[in-house]
Amino acid sequence: MNTIEIKDLSFSYSEDITALKNINLVIKKGEWISILGHNGSGKSTLAKLIIGLLKADKGDIYVDEVLLTEDTVHEIRRKIGIVFQNPDNQFVGVTVEDDIAFGMENLNFEREDMINKIVEYAKKVDMFEYISKEPHALSGGQKQRVAIAGILAMNTDIIIFDEATSMLDPKGRESIIGYIKELNKEGKTIISITHEMKEAVNSDRIIILKDGEVLAIGETNTILNDKEVLNSSNLELLLPLKLMYKLDEANIKNEKVKDILWQLSLNK
Amino acid sequence: MKNIIVGQYIPGNSFLYKMDPRSKIIALGLLMISAFLFEDISHIVYMLVGVLLILKIGGIPIMRIARGLRPIMILLLFTFSFQVVFIKTGDVIFDTELTLSSVNLILMILIILTWYFTRRYIKSRFLYLIIVIVGILTMLSLFSPGFKISSSDFVIYEDGLLGASFIMVRLIIIVTLSTILTLTTRPTDLNLGLERILKPLKLVRINSEEIALIISIALRYIPTLLDEANKIMLAQASRGVDFSEGKLKDKVMQIISLLVPMFIISFKRSDDLANAMEARSFIPGNPRTRIHILTWHYRDTLVMIFCVVVLASTIFVRVYL
Repeated sequence: MNTIEIKDLSFSYSEDITALKNINLVIKKGEWISILGHNGSGKSTLAKLIIGLLKADKGDIYVDEVLLTEDTVHEIRRKIGIVFQNPDNQFVGVTVEDDIAFGMENLNFEREDMINKIVEYAKKVDMFEYISKEPHALSGGQKQRVAIAGILAMNTDIIIFDEATSMLDPKGRESIIGYIKELNKEGKTIISITHEMKEAVNSDRIIILKDGEVLAIGETNTILNDKEVLNSSNLELLLPLKLMYKLDEANIKNEKVKDILWQLSLNK
Repeated sequence: MKNIIVGQYIPGNSFLYKMDPRSKIIALGLLMISAFLFEDISHIVYMLVGVLLILKIGGIPIMRIARGLRPIMILLLFTFSFQVVFIKTGDVIFDTELTLSSVNLILMILIILTWYFTRRYIKSRFLYLIIVIVGILTMLSLFSPGFKISSSDFVIYEDGLLGASFIMVRLIIIVTLSTILTLTTRPTDLNLGLERILKPLKLVRINSEEIALIISIALRYIPTLLDEANKIMLAQASRGVDFSEGKLKDKVMQIISLLVPMFIISFKRSDDLANAMEARSFIPGNPRTRIHILTWHYRDTLVMIFCVVVLASTIFVRVYL
C-alpha cells in the first residue's frame, strides 16, 4: 500500500527561484526513504509541501490516498509528524512535559490519555527524568528527542526528519539515528532528509535531488554503487566508498578488501 | 545581560505555592490598587509591614526580593531626588548653602574623573555613585576655599521628604508583590491563570487562549534570545566592538549592531516556530484540551476575602478619613 504518492510536483519561491521541478515519487507504508541533496536542492521544500506548509504550483500529493488540499491539510497533518532541523525553533512548551503535550492538546486528547502518553514517550526517548525541565536546560540532542516524543505522542504513521541531526554533536546524532531505526522497525514510515550520506545508508531507498530535480532514485545498495550518479550529485562521499572507487580506478581487484569497504560504507 | 532574571520561580512549599494562580493574580491586582489608593505615609508603611509579613509567612528570602529591586534602583533614586528637591512645602528639615569655588570646582572635576575611570573596578557601582554624589554635596557645603563662582541654598522640606519616602515605599510594595507572584508561581501556571482570568474577554472577541500562548512562547524564548544576543555580542566583541565603553554615539551604533541581527534572527525563529506549530496541528482559534488544570481551594477564597477587605478598608480610609 502506498502511503505517499507525489505526481508532477513543482514549486517556485519566486519567478527566478524554482525549488522543485516535476517530482514524481511513491513512498510505501513502513518504508524508510532518505532524500539526499546538497544545500538548495529542494529537500526541505519537498518536506514542507508534503505536510502542507507550502502550496505546490503544480502537481498533486496523496497521503493514504487522500489528495492534499486546503480542506484535507489538517486531516493529513494528523498522519504526518515532522522533526525540524533546529531543535530550538520547534520547542513550543515552557517545559518538556508541555512540549510533548502541545500536539496532543491541539488534537483534543483527553487529559488522562495525555498524561499516560507523556510518561510513555518521555521514557521511550530517555527524557523522563527531564520532564519538568525548561528547554534552556537541555542539550540540542535532548531537545530533538523531546520533539520526537511529541510526534510519537500524536501517534502519526509517517515521520519526516528534516535534517534533524545536522545541528547535533556526533553523540546526539547517533542517538537520533538509533531512534529512527527503532521507529522504522516498529512500522513507522520514515522520510529522512539529509545531506549526510552516512545517515542515508540505513534507509531502504535513496532519492537524490539536484537543483530541484530527481537525479536518482533506487534501493540504497544500488545508489551507493552508482559512482557516476554520486559524483554528479555534489554530495560528500563516504570515505570507504571513495576508497572503493579509487581501487576500481587503479584496477585493483581485491574482492575481500572491497567487501570490507562496502560493509563499512553501510555502517556494518 | 547576565543580570536579567527570567522565570524567577524558586521551588517551595509554603501556602503561597499552594494557592491557585488565579487567586494570586487577582490578589496582586487588588493589593496594587490599595497601594495606589493610600494617601498617608503611615498607612503605606503599615502595608509594607503587611507585605513583609507575607514574605516571612511565605518563606521567601528578603534578599531575593532585594535582587528584584536592583533594576529599579536608578528609578527609585531619581524619583526620591526629584520629590526632595522640588517639593517646597512644610517645615524645613535641612538647610545648607552649596558654594562652588575655584578650588572645589577643580576637586569636583577630579572626583568625577576618578569615579569615571575607577567605576569599572568597583563591584557595587550604584553604591559608589551614591557615595560620590554625597561626597561632592558635602564638599560643596563645608569646604569652599578660593574665589567664589556661585552659591545656592539646598533646602529639604518635611513634605518633600515624606512625599519622596511615600512614593519609594509604594514602588517597593508594588515590585515586591509582583516578585512574590513570579517567585512562587510556575510560568505554566501563571500563564494558565492569566488565560482563565481573561476568558470573559471572549465576549468582545478576544481569545484569551491565544494571548496566553503568546505570553508562554515569549517567556519560553527569552532565555534563547538572550543567549543569541550574548553570542552576537561576543562575535561583535571579537571584531573590536566594546559594549561597555564609548561615547553615546558609539553606544547607539553598538546597540544597532546588536539589534539588526537580533531582529533578523527573531523573525527567522518565529517563522520556523510557526511552521513547527502548524505541523503539530495547531489551528489558531480552535478549541484545545489542556494538560494542566487549576484547582480552587478554600485558602484561595480566604485570601480573596482578605484582599477585598484590605481594598474596602483602603477605600473607606480614603473617602471618610
